[in-house]
Amino acid sequence: MIQLSKVSKEFKTNIALKDLSLEVKAGQIYALLGSNGAGKTTTINLLLGFLQPTGGEVKLDGLTPYSSKKAISERAAYIPENVSLYPFLSGLENLDYFCHLAGIKKPKATLTEILSKCGLESEFHNQKVSEYSKGMRQKVGIAIAYAKEAKVLLLDEPASGLDPAASNELTAILKQLAGEGATILMASHDLFRVRETADRIGILKHGSLVEELDASDVSANTLENMYLQYMKN
Amino acid sequence: MSRIFFNEWKAWIRTGQFRWLILLLTFMLVAVSYFGAQDVANRQAKIDGSKKEVREQWESMGPSNPHGAAHFGSYAFKPLTPLSALDEGVNLTAGRVLRLEGHVQNEVVHSSQSQSVFISYFGPLKASILLQVVIPLLIIFLTYYGIKGEHEQGRVRLLMVQGVSYFRLIIGKVVSVWVLAILILLITLIIQWATFQGSLQPDLLLRSALIVLAYSLFYLVIGSFTAVFCARWAGGASALTVMLAIWVVWLIFLPKVSSWFVQQQNPLPSRHEFKIAMREDRSKGIDGHNPTDEREKALKDSVLGAYGVSSVDSLPINYDGLVMQADEEYGNKVWDKHFGALFEVLQRQKVGMQYAGFLNPFGSLQSLSMGICGTDQWSHLHFQKEAEAYRRVFIKALNDEHAFGGSKTGDWGWKAEQEFFNQIEDFHYENPAYTKVASLYWPDWLSLGIWLFISLSLLGYSSKNLEEAVI
Repeated sequence: MIQLSKVSKEFKTNIALKDLSLEVKAGQIYALLGSNGAGKTTTINLLLGFLQPTGGEVKLDGLTPYSSKKAISERAAYIPENVSLYPFLSGLENLDYFCHLAGIKKPKATLTEILSKCGLESEFHNQKVSEYSKGMRQKVGIAIAYAKEAKVLLLDEPASGLDPAASNELTAILKQLAGEGATILMASHDLFRVRETADRIGILKHGSLVEELDASDVSANTLENMYLQYMKN
Repeated sequence: MSRIFFNEWKAWIRTGQFRWLILLLTFMLVAVSYFGAQDVANRQAKIDGSKKEVREQWESMGPSNPHGAAHFGSYAFKPLTPLSALDEGVNLTAGRVLRLEGHVQNEVVHSSQSQSVFISYFGPLKASILLQVVIPLLIIFLTYYGIKGEHEQGRVRLLMVQGVSYFRLIIGKVVSVWVLAILILLITLIIQWATFQGSLQPDLLLRSALIVLAYSLFYLVIGSFTAVFCARWAGGASALTVMLAIWVVWLIFLPKVSSWFVQQQNPLPSRHEFKIAMREDRSKGIDGHNPTDEREKALKDSVLGAYGVSSVDSLPINYDGLVMQADEEYGNKVWDKHFGALFEVLQRQKVGMQYAGFLNPFGSLQSLSMGICGTDQWSHLHFQKEAEAYRRVFIKALNDEHAFGGSKTGDWGWKAEQEFFNQIEDFHYENPAYTKVASLYWPDWLSLGIWLFISLSLLGYSSKNLEEAVI
């Protein structure tokens, strides 16, 4: 579903990615770990079609994102660290608005159902987003992806700033979506959350994948030591 | 785009500061338009009253000497156009009453500015000030905050993933603010129509439609430029600073510089110089009260020859009337020469200011606004020329009556009957239909069109660049 083959991306002053190859299958959650500037966001931007690779091949659901932006916007959803919704709208109105922008028309009842499914309690559906916590906004962000019936979810630091309960909820929701067949790629710093959520983990350093492993093969402590070791080197 | 549009409106309605700002401004505009329209109606009623009074005096003066009646004179009143309340233009300073009498061409007097200390100090609060100065500021602020909000909260990327291009996003915002501004303008126009006591003639409807068009073009230029800078600086404060600086340059600096330059290129004589030159030329004519004049001698010889008599006393007519008419005609030539030259300069100045609009769209809007409302320099000069044309017919009728009405030369005590005076019609002036003067304003329309093209092109270019920068 997501395929990067020897992808490199150079900017005027630096090389963001160098021969990056990875694959995320449908129903899989892949976590990219790495420090700031490692190339996590660049990878997401390449997958969203915002950037054109300097070399190699990027594929999302068999499409080349940069040359098929419209099709990519229909297939992929993006959830940033801070899901910035319109504060004067309710969660339900935000969901409705973003769906309309994406060309999706769903009845209110369906949207309410989606919000509930993504963990937002019904009493908050019609409350203004300005009164939402970060976790609640993340849930609306996921609901937008769900409503779009996005095949691929790209998350940039999704658990950053969430309290443990909200993080757990996020993990549960992502696992549920993956269980329904979604392909999920998340970029994160949070080793513990990555270990809990992802099926497969890749460690990025200076634009190259230095390690790739199954989450089930490694304990949280081992992952932390491995990550710190790579960062030190 | 309609969703972006309605979402923007929802934001204003639900966000306290925007809601109150828009309501306050709309209320101000409604109040100013209403009271302005009332004021115009009152002033027009006063003009109608004065006109009636002048006519009553004329028709009740009884048997009088025609030359005495020429000195008694009459008045030409410039009617206020239905859209005067929207834009008073030069009416405030140029006046609207012209005294018409024999021997002399007077200046238009009774301007609003000369009638009120407060107006001469501060200027009146007109709907045009709100429409030309305050509404553009509202457009700048709403467009800026609308785009800034998307950047500040990092929403642009999220929207782009939904398949919304940056251009579509900011055009949606520009259009939503633009429609709000047009709506406020329409409210103002509806108030003008509601308070207008005459019927809605096709010319008024055309002028109203053109007012909407001119202001709409200008508002779109303002909104697009604001969006261009927002796109350039990704909604940063620099965008607002630069746009406000440009606004000040358009509003204050460029009009002053361009009017100074145009005046330097086309200087007008001072009022004193103009009057001295007129007086000097006028003194060379036949003075109706001075029979020793050389030209009067030539006229006398020709009249005596035509009637085959040897002295004016033997003429069957009153020779004094002919002399006074000859003097009038000479005076008319002097006026045509001097006022014609003045008119040429004023015309060049007006055209110069119109061309300055290619550097400043605000100048083009001002010119169009006054022109469409019938309150600009062209309209004023047109009134002055029409009033002078009437004065000539009016005085000639009195001189002819003096000459051929039955009196003899030197009989200054002879009186014409009241019926004669009653048959002289009043000066009746109607502002020319817009279709007749439309060609005067093509530089202003062209300028606004070019500014719109530039602003939209820049918007397209900047939004494409920013799309890459956002990513």
